Amino acid sequence: MAVRERNNIYLPVKAEVVEKRHLSADVSLFTVRPDVPFDYRPGQFFMVSLWGAGEVPISVASLRKEGAKRSQQGGDLIEFCIRKAGKVTSLIHDVEKGGFLWIRGPYGRSFPLEYATGREMLVVGGGIGLAPLRPVIQWALRERNSIKKVSLLYGARTPDDLIFRDDLKRWAESGVNVVLTVDRATDGWDGNLGVVTTLWHKSEIDFREAVSFICGPEVMIRSAINDLFFFGMPEDRIITTLEAHMKCGVGKCGHCYAGRLYICTDGPVFSFREIKEHNLL
Amino acid sequence: MRSEWILPKGHLSYWLRQLRNRASLIAPLRVDGDIVFKSLENIHEVSLDNPALLPSPKEFLLPQQEGMFWTEGERIRPLLNKERRFIFGVRSCDVSALGLLDRFFLEGYGDPFYRERRRNTIFLSIVCNNPDPTCFCIGLGTGPYLEKGFDIQLTDLGDRYFVQAGNRQSQRLVRQWSFLFTTPRKVDYEDQYEVFLSSKARFQKRISLESVREYILAGKVRDSFWESVSERCFECGGCVYECPLCTCFTVTDRSYSFGTERVRLWDTCLFKGFTRMAGGVLPNEKRVLRTKRWYYHKLVHYPDVLGSFGCVGCGRCTVTCPGRIDMATIAIKLRDLQDNGR
Repeated sequence: MAVRERNNIYLPVKAEVVEKRHLSADVSLFTVRPDVPFDYRPGQFFMVSLWGAGEVPISVASLRKEGAKRSQQGGDLIEFCIRKAGKVTSLIHDVEKGGFLWIRGPYGRSFPLEYATGREMLVVGGGIGLAPLRPVIQWALRERNSIKKVSLLYGARTPDDLIFRDDLKRWAESGVNVVLTVDRATDGWDGNLGVVTTLWHKSEIDFREAVSFICGPEVMIRSAINDLFFFGMPEDRIITTLEAHMKCGVGKCGHCYAGRLYICTDGPVFSFREIKEHNLL
Repeated sequence: MRSEWILPKGHLSYWLRQLRNRASLIAPLRVDGDIVFKSLENIHEVSLDNPALLPSPKEFLLPQQEGMFWTEGERIRPLLNKERRFIFGVRSCDVSALGLLDRFFLEGYGDPFYRERRRNTIFLSIVCNNPDPTCFCIGLGTGPYLEKGFDIQLTDLGDRYFVQAGNRQSQRLVRQWSFLFTTPRKVDYEDQYEVFLSSKARFQKRISLESVREYILAGKVRDSFWESVSERCFECGGCVYECPLCTCFTVTDRSYSFGTERVRLWDTCLFKGFTRMAGGVLPNEKRVLRTKRWYYHKLVHYPDVLGSFGCVGCGRCTVTCPGRIDMATIAIKLRDLQDNGR
C-alpha cells in the first residue's frame, strides 16, 4: 500500500524537525529528517505543508551529501529556510524541534551548476534569496578544484536581516569573495550601503567569462540581469530563479503559469535568454 | 472487432437500464427549467430533445470541490473516487475537450484524482444535429460529430441510432447486449452522412481561431484592445467555470474536530488574488493582464504546447459572459479589425 500511495503526486511525506534555527527576526532554518530519502539538487523546491494550514513552495537550502546512503533509516537531512510571510508560513514557524512538517518533491529544474566548471562563479543574492543560493555556494566549495573563483554579493534591508551569517563567515574563510551590503545601517555596521547592484566593481569577476546565479526580490533580479548582460555576460550564463504563487508544484493548478510556461515545472530556474523569450519578468 | 451498429430507438431505454445496473448512469435532466447532468433514477426522465448547450461534464472529472486527503493525526487517506459512471448525452465538443484534459492531467506528472475518475467513466456522446446559434465547434474540428476520440458516439437517424464505439471498453458495452443491435446497412451510412451534412449547414457562427491566432502573433493586437476588453470584465469567473477546458484549481485545508481534509476547488485566473505571492505581492494586479492571460493561454499557448486551441467552440462563455467579451465575440471583433486592414 505504501508503494501505491507514493504514486500519488500530491501525497506528502512526514518529516521530523530535528533542528530549528532563527536566522533573523522573521526567518528560520528548519532542518528536517523525512521518513523516506529524497534526491534533490540546488534550485529545486519542495511543497512544505502542515495539515490544517496548507502547502507552500520552499526551495531547498542545503546541498545533498554526495553518495548519501539510501538504505539508512529515514532520509537524509534537508534544510528549508522559511520566512514568516503569510498564514501558512506563520503556522509553520510555530512548529518547534521534535515537531513535524509534511513535504513532497523535489520539483522544478535545478541550477545548471555544470556551467560553472572551469569558470568563475558570481552569486548575487538579496534578502531571503540567499536560501536557494546557499547550496550553490556549498557545491562550489566542494568542487573548488574545478571552479576558478567564487564571488558572492549579498544584500539585505538591515544588518539584522542578513541571514546565514555563520555561513557567510565560513565561506569568506574558505576563499569566497563575500561582499555584503545593507539598505539601512544600524549601530555597529561599517560595511557597504545600498543595493547589491552598486557593488559590481567589488565582485572581482571577469563578467564575460563567468557564470552568475541570482535570487532575490524581483526588482533586484531585474536590474542584476540587465547589468550583467550589459557587462558582456552571455545571456545563457545569467541564471536566476523566480518566485510564484503555487498550489500543486507539478504544473496542474495553473497559478504559476506565465507566458506558456509553468514556473514550477519549466522553472523555477531560468536563464536570461528564457526570461526574455517568454517575457517572464 | 466490429465497432459500428444500429440501435432501434425503442431499444435505447432497455440498453440504458442495463447500463445503469453496472454503474451509475448520468444524463441530462430537466430540473425546474434548467438542464443539468444528474444521476438517473428513472430512465424515462432522460431528456433527449436538449439544446446543444448543456452543462459541461467537466465536473465529473474535476469537481467544483474535491477532497484529496483525509487525515486524522498521522494517518492519511487519499480520497480517490472510484465510482463507475456512464455519462449519457454528452456533446461532441465536450468529448473533444476530454481528449485535451486527458493529455493535460495525465502527461508528465499524472494527476491521481483525475486518473481514477477518468478510468471509471465512459462517455456516451450524441452527434449534434441541431447546433445552437452560439456554437462554433465546426470551425475548430471539435464537432458537431467526431471521427475519433470518443468512447461511444450515437447519431440520431430518426427512428434509430447509429452507434460507434471508439475503444475496446466501449465495444464491450454493445457486445454484451448485442441482441439489441443490428449491423449497419448502406442506407444507414448514407443517413448518417446526411445528418452530418445537415448539421454542418445549420451553424450560424463561422469562426477561424487560427486566423485570430496569426493576427495576435503578428503583433497586430495592441494593448489598448485588451484594455478595452478588460474594462468590460466583471471578474465573475463565469467563463472559466463553464469552460470545458479551464482547469485551474486552488488547494485548501479544512479542519474539523475529528480530522483535516485537504480539498481542491475550482479557481480562476481572472481573480486578482489568483497569483498573490508571499508577502502580498500581486504580479497580475492590473485587470488587463489577467484578461490577456486568459486569451493568450487559449489562443496562443495552448496550441504551442498541446497542438490544439484551448477552446472547443462550445459557446458557453457566449451565453454566460455579462460583459460580452466571450471567445466568439472577441474572435469576431478581431476578425473585423483584420478585415478593415488594421
